[in-house]
Amino acid sequence: MTDRESDGPAPPVTREAVRDRLDCVTDPELDRSIVELEYVDAIEIDGDRVTIHVTLPTAWCSPAFAWMMAADAREEVESLPGVERGRIYLHEHMHEAEINRGVNAGLSFEDAFPDADGGIDPVRAELDRKARIARQYDAVEVLQEAGLDPETIVSLRLRDFERADRDDRVTIYLADRAVGVTVPAEPIDDYLEKARETGITDAPTDVLFRTPEGEPIDPEEFELVHRRGRLTQVNMSGQGGICDGLREARENRLERTPSD
Amino acid sequence: MYEQDGESIFVIDAHVHLWDATEENIKHQGGEEFIQCFYDYHTTFTPEDLEWEMDEYRKYGADRMVEDLFGNAAADMAIFQPTYLTDFYEDGFNTTHQNAELATEYPERFVLNGSFDPRDGEAGMEHLEELHDTYDIQGVKLYTAEWRGESKGWRLDDEEAFEFLEKCEELGIENIHPHKGPTIRPLNRDAFDVKDVDDAASSFPDLNFVVEHVGLPRLDDFCWIAGQEPNVYGGLAVAAPFAQNRPGKFSEILSELLWWLGEDRVLFGSDYAIWNPDWLVEEVMEAELTEEHRAEYGVEWDLETKKKVMGENAAELYDIDIEAKKAQFREDEISQQFGLEDHYAGEEPAAADD
Repeated sequence: MTDRESDGPAPPVTREAVRDRLDCVTDPELDRSIVELEYVDAIEIDGDRVTIHVTLPTAWCSPAFAWMMAADAREEVESLPGVERGRIYLHEHMHEAEINRGVNAGLSFEDAFPDADGGIDPVRAELDRKARIARQYDAVEVLQEAGLDPETIVSLRLRDFERADRDDRVTIYLADRAVGVTVPAEPIDDYLEKARETGITDAPTDVLFRTPEGEPIDPEEFELVHRRGRLTQVNMSGQGGICDGLREARENRLERTPSD
Repeated sequence: MYEQDGESIFVIDAHVHLWDATEENIKHQGGEEFIQCFYDYHTTFTPEDLEWEMDEYRKYGADRMVEDLFGNAAADMAIFQPTYLTDFYEDGFNTTHQNAELATEYPERFVLNGSFDPRDGEAGMEHLEELHDTYDIQGVKLYTAEWRGESKGWRLDDEEAFEFLEKCEELGIENIHPHKGPTIRPLNRDAFDVKDVDDAASSFPDLNFVVEHVGLPRLDDFCWIAGQEPNVYGGLAVAAPFAQNRPGKFSEILSELLWWLGEDRVLFGSDYAIWNPDWLVEEVMEAELTEEHRAEYGVEWDLETKKKVMGENAAELYDIDIEAKKAQFREDEISQQFGLEDHYAGEEPAAADD
């Protein structure tokens, strides 16, 4: 880190702006923000260069997951106006050398890890799929709480949803727009975001809610599909518990080890 | 045996190790990272005053293991699940031969499992036969993410793996314990992906597949498969110690397991020495499902369910006659060593007054 002050008319990059960007990066396995999960150790701003230091819960975190977080973090930071270059440094990871070099040089995962079996796109797709299933559970819960029955829920399409007067609500129009039901927007928006990313809702006429395999839901299977969504959430939060615990344990261990 | 509501519950710890991670035995950096990772798991879910020092954790030895498991009768029997890791450790980390030191000294207390690795080909087949001939093994622990030279893992639904499963069937090795738990060092491919169990289980309906660590962090894939394959079981190691410091999470995970698999297909395991049954059994036995989860899932963690999960389900898989064992333990060497003869004296304790 240099103490050189940038004296040109560079656009000011603030720590808050960087943190907001990083907040969009999720741990793909947990579907939670890396900021919220406290993986980000430090943000260094030096003019138009931003350096991020990150420590994951264990040195054994899947290299593919670690790569995704580091690459996403770099992309988010560099999308900020005024940032010329973002650098990500992963610490205390068994593959930090390959990941730091690869991500900061803009290599592909396969180039950084020649002995990997292939790219990480399928891994990302699988985790995105699970994130969608988990988010679907919350979205369907608010729809059920609002009184919608399974037959209605499984047939909803993007065009049935409309932003309500208040920003935090959406209205669903039913029965040829004869009836409108208003629900909290957040779980619906979260779901729609992941549904878009996973290609479930390419067209406004696509049915929104799907089985974990991506098929439309038969009303008779509605309960089972909903149970599977709950199960996916339990899995993610269970893994979150393990990651949390491991992070604490490692911090304690490193504190106990005298540094030289 | 654990006393609860006036009954004695026979405890079979279905997942224990006798390992050697001393520095002299480590031959690859992965071996050091592996034991450090284990140690983080240990401290994460162990009450602070019961945590071990790293040195004793590297190698605790047979005497200490016997005392931890049986000294206060936390467990009555235990099943060794070997982990070879011979690319990381000179003599292996926790092999059947290492485990046999104890298992053959107290055969009435231990079940000794073997292992196979389909990448070993013909030599591996001979090794499996040898383990069977020498120790009469009834089960194998499989570590699909184990490194072997250039290879970073294998799958249960590989053609070669099927040949080994056929051999197990032929030898009468009925219990297959794939480790499907926390990912340990694959690169991109998820070597602990649980989906390969599906095809193997439906292709070998006479074998039992006990998925260790219930697939965490793939509990969802695991439960979905287990819901469809009646010969798939869940081993609670790793999930069990949540009872101690994440009781709500434990309640939720256990509820899911009981809902998808039912009470006959979940097996308790401590993962000793990652966690110690001398405190873990009590934590699990005294754990409760939250009212919310009981209502949501319609399952119970009651005495009958606990009896099955803590011992009867493993006894069923390994043909263990619990009543005969209780009689035997009135006077076996371990009961004498720890003064447990009365504990197994046969009389059911008087029902509690309340």
